[in-house]
Amino acid sequence: MFGYMGKILRVNLTSGEIKVEELKEEDAKEFIGGRGLASKFLLEEIDPKVDPFSPENKLIFATGPLTGTAAPTGGRYMVVTKSPLTGFIASSNSGGFFGPELKFAGYDFLIVEGKAEHPVYISIKDEDVEIKDASHLWGKRVGETTDKLLEEFGDKKARVACIGPAGENLVRFASIMNDKHRAAGRSGVGAVMGSKNLKAVVVRGTKQVELADKEKFMSVVKEKIKKIKENPITGGGLPNYGTAVLVNIINENGLYPTYNFQTGVFKYAYEQSGEALVAKYLVRNHPCFACPIGCGRVSYHPAIGITEGPEYESIWALGASCGINDLASIVIANHLCDEFGLDTISTGGTLAAAMELYEKGIIKQEELGDAPPLRFGNSEVLHYYIEKIVKREGFGDKLAEGSYRLAESYGHPEYSMSVKKQELPAYDPRGAEGHGVTYATSNRGGCHVRGYMISPEILGVPVKLDPHDVSEEKAKWVKIFQDLTAVIDSSGLCLFTSFALGADDYAEMLNAATGFEFITDEWLKAGERVWNIERIFNLKAGLIPEKDDTLPKRFLEEPMPEGPNKGHVVKLHEILPKYYKLRGWDEKGYPTEEKLKELGLDKYY
Amino acid sequence: MVRVRVFATLRSIIGKNEVELQASTVGELLERIYGKYPKMKKELEKGAVILVNGKNIEHLEKLNTKLKHEDVVSIFPPVGGG
Repeated sequence: MFGYMGKILRVNLTSGEIKVEELKEEDAKEFIGGRGLASKFLLEEIDPKVDPFSPENKLIFATGPLTGTAAPTGGRYMVVTKSPLTGFIASSNSGGFFGPELKFAGYDFLIVEGKAEHPVYISIKDEDVEIKDASHLWGKRVGETTDKLLEEFGDKKARVACIGPAGENLVRFASIMNDKHRAAGRSGVGAVMGSKNLKAVVVRGTKQVELADKEKFMSVVKEKIKKIKENPITGGGLPNYGTAVLVNIINENGLYPTYNFQTGVFKYAYEQSGEALVAKYLVRNHPCFACPIGCGRVSYHPAIGITEGPEYESIWALGASCGINDLASIVIANHLCDEFGLDTISTGGTLAAAMELYEKGIIKQEELGDAPPLRFGNSEVLHYYIEKIVKREGFGDKLAEGSYRLAESYGHPEYSMSVKKQELPAYDPRGAEGHGVTYATSNRGGCHVRGYMISPEILGVPVKLDPHDVSEEKAKWVKIFQDLTAVIDSSGLCLFTSFALGADDYAEMLNAATGFEFITDEWLKAGERVWNIERIFNLKAGLIPEKDDTLPKRFLEEPMPEGPNKGHVVKLHEILPKYYKLRGWDEKGYPTEEKLKELGLDKYY
Repeated sequence: MVRVRVFATLRSIIGKNEVELQASTVGELLERIYGKYPKMKKELEKGAVILVNGKNIEHLEKLNTKLKHEDVVSIFPPVGGG
């Protein structure tokens, strides 16, 4: 096989068994790899109703055919499992350098099964795979764990993916961190890893990815790199200001969620913007493996030294979402989330929900005792409660359950700004209603990347759409974005390439690497297949579309109180049926027999 | 007078975050800006997002969008993120 290494590494932590299996070409042709193929494996190998923390859940590290190649941004991998936050499928994407190293070691997928009796880590050196004791690392932060493991492993060129104390303590939104500061952040994948007593995976590989037509591939890649460098976003905005450049633009457009999504305009947004970050704390930018964009931030603050980030989502979650303006606290808190292994979006979203509950008198100071008041704008909340969440101490134990379970326990689930119990990211859908459809229908719960409608609705890329239009045309765009994103996620590339590249570009790279020679529509069909197999997993896990494909009441019933989107709600009930129809699902949101047959998925549902 | 807010790379061209200018339409405003800051023309040609009081001119009257006293015009170079 080309592009693929052709091998699945399977490690059972209960029995200690380590197996290498062949990757089937038919599977790769149908689901591409990465997010897609791992989702198929998960559906086939676990009962979707299983407890995410049980040994029966599986944790899959999934690369794509372009991971580890010279394709621009060919450094990405996915972690796929059943989420302890949502109870549905989790597929958490990360960059950095870990994914390529797994390919160089000879594997497309690492499937972790069972549960170890005591803390362990998996050590991979090409064919030499071992399960080793990690008791001496349990409890350690991500940075220290990474350094110690590289020393023990004896090769500084190795790459480490690990959990921090948050994953060990089964915080429902714990992340897996690789290369210290790159996060497979969402859906609590770190908690699943912790539930298996798996502290880390260390990998070093010496092989190369073989390509179907190396000369063609390199010439195609050269052309795509040129497109990326010449595009003003990927060649200018992103490397210079990072994702944080969005703070001001989203705020000026009036959809920067403030005070737990109570409004869309934050008076102090400028202080936490990309421009402010560059002026105050940025050292330089930083690329992932094979990336010509380089949107990563290397930042410095005297309290913590050198760190990476913060990204737009993290700034917002730890900033405006909580009404917090001071960038220094945000930079420090972001660093702590990296060190402890916490998803910044869910951390901020949970704290913001707690703050609204507190300000409305539902959570009382008596319960917190001498702990800091959960008041919007109180930056001490970040410095104090993040650690309590990680240790599950005091009120932190309640926060560690996530915003939905927290708010529900007080009888007010409506104050959790989440979908399928996953906290929403940094865009108020009352200012971008197509994006609201993405939130409501993303298979992994409240998520922005699975169909980034902000791009056309706000940024005007590839064209400018009216953010308040809820016609069939808008629903079509949502489906296209979702399907193309699924292709990109399954191939091992970074979504940011899509600011400069189109579907044909990805098809060319994939064909030259794998030799499959599919037309663009066939690749997009594979993306649609991926979307549907995730949907099938979720339905079998207990998803009820009427209940779960929705948005918090706030967005459906409370008009935006101020700013350019004043007066707007999300007209979800108008556009959702159109979306279902375009997907070939029935009016209740279930895939039809016809659609399942068309995609070859009828045997699954 | 309208308040013109610029962001990201445009700030280094203008030399500050905000300027006040006189113009009755967005098109006229851009001409004024190019006159004062010639480098802005090249930057904005790459594609810019222009808002009047937070609303994208693509959904108003584009360059013919009328401006009144104290309107806030926000100009962004092509930006992206996640």
